[in-house]
Amino acid sequence: MTRAIQGFIKVCDEVGNAFLFFTEIIKTLLFRPCRKSLVLEQIWHVTVESFATTAMAGFFVGAIMAVQFTMQMKEFGALGYLGGLATSGTFREVGPLLIAFMLSGKIGAFTSAELGTMRVTEQIDAIRCLGANPMQEIILPRFLGIIISSFFLLFLGLVMSVFGGMFLGYFLAGVNPEEYVRHIPTIITGPSIATGLVKCFTFAVVLATICTQKGFYTVGGAKGVGRAVVSTAVTTMIAIVVMDWLTSFLGEVLLHMVTGS
Amino acid sequence: MIQFKNLVKRFGERTVLRGISLDVRQGEILFILGTSGTGKSVLLKNIVGLLRPDEGEIWIDGQEVSKLTEEQYLPIRKKCGMVFQHPALFDSLTIYENVAFGLRRHYQFSEIEISSKVKKALGLVHLQGVENKRPGQISYGMQKRVSLARTVALEPEILLFDEPTTGLDPITTNAVNQLIQDLSHTLKTTSLVVSHDMQCALSIADRIVVLDQGKVVALGTPKEIKNSAVPLVKDFMAEVQL
Repeated sequence: MTRAIQGFIKVCDEVGNAFLFFTEIIKTLLFRPCRKSLVLEQIWHVTVESFATTAMAGFFVGAIMAVQFTMQMKEFGALGYLGGLATSGTFREVGPLLIAFMLSGKIGAFTSAELGTMRVTEQIDAIRCLGANPMQEIILPRFLGIIISSFFLLFLGLVMSVFGGMFLGYFLAGVNPEEYVRHIPTIITGPSIATGLVKCFTFAVVLATICTQKGFYTVGGAKGVGRAVVSTAVTTMIAIVVMDWLTSFLGEVLLHMVTGS
Repeated sequence: MIQFKNLVKRFGERTVLRGISLDVRQGEILFILGTSGTGKSVLLKNIVGLLRPDEGEIWIDGQEVSKLTEEQYLPIRKKCGMVFQHPALFDSLTIYENVAFGLRRHYQFSEIEISSKVKKALGLVHLQGVENKRPGQISYGMQKRVSLARTVALEPEILLFDEPTTGLDPITTNAVNQLIQDLSHTLKTTSLVVSHDMQCALSIADRIVVLDQGKVVALGTPKEIKNSAVPLVKDFMAEVQL
């Protein structure tokens, strides 16, 4: 029982610290914005590093969804709707989630390791001694760069998932690409796309906050950097799943309020 | 110039500095010696506001600084240049950009002025032709010297060295020690050097302070320290004689 309470307190502590850090970043963004060139450098770096991996992951996520739906829909003779259903499922749920997991492993781990190394080799202290604000100089550019790039990469992954689904649909179920695409607009509605995009944005913010925070507060030399990277990976994945549930739940509530059904 | 008044610093349950009181005189080279974990680096970091004391006061040029905000601390950091234990160079920047980093943040110099100050600072540490290289492309000893140049470029009145010779070979160690002495005389700075190296302290320090378990156990000129009856100082001296 005591362990459970301690665990709960630790989780609350983690969430509280992440929120405080996020508030600090937003304050810096509002009152001490960083140079645009630093943000562009980060966007370029993150996008180039993860472009191919995300595109590939997106393609296979779509392909997986197509395989799963093919099995079910063959029984009902409704393969014509494969494109619509697979794409809807990918856009609303599976796509953002799996691609965000992949990005958390790649961008999140890299950023926390980079910042952690800067911390343990006293580069962050040096920045303060040289008259600069580390939040403004290194955290804010990375935070904005990761959000913008991740959002773009997640979107790219979702687009690639359509191609993946189309490809598998053609070779596995013999669904013509034209037919696959034709039913996408009939099943995918505005709210589906909005849900996908909101999730992409939320996951990007979660990823950017956690990896910069974990890296920035690294302690304990090389081992500390290792711990920060592991902690980033675990915390990000848990936070993404929780945010996925939260955005789905809030989306449903909002839809219910708007449509009244 | 710098005064510590009953300085206490704790990390959780552990008290690292236990009421340090010390006056640092203008223009002197003061060596801070002690075994590992006695709070030498913590003392330096308190001066530049990287750490804040839990009790006590720090006075720099007649100003109490321990309770200043991060913004208010900027002029103090301009006055106190710190050379870290690690070179702490920014990997993504060239040597030129590393040395120019503080100049760009603290001052509004033109690019021509920055360029001349960077060259002058690198000249002071006897480095030429490395401006366009990245930290990873030069040796560790050279990185330490670039780190020194980056601090010196700001022309601080106080130089703080945190174990400047750790991890260096004997020849580079001597060169860095000589550099500290030369810079202190050339730039007329006050220098605080955290070190384990009693031999070096005896040869270039104006005064030496020895810390043990967060307290000052000995303070004096090299000659006074040599004759000290404090057991820890005797241990340090025994090592020098070996």
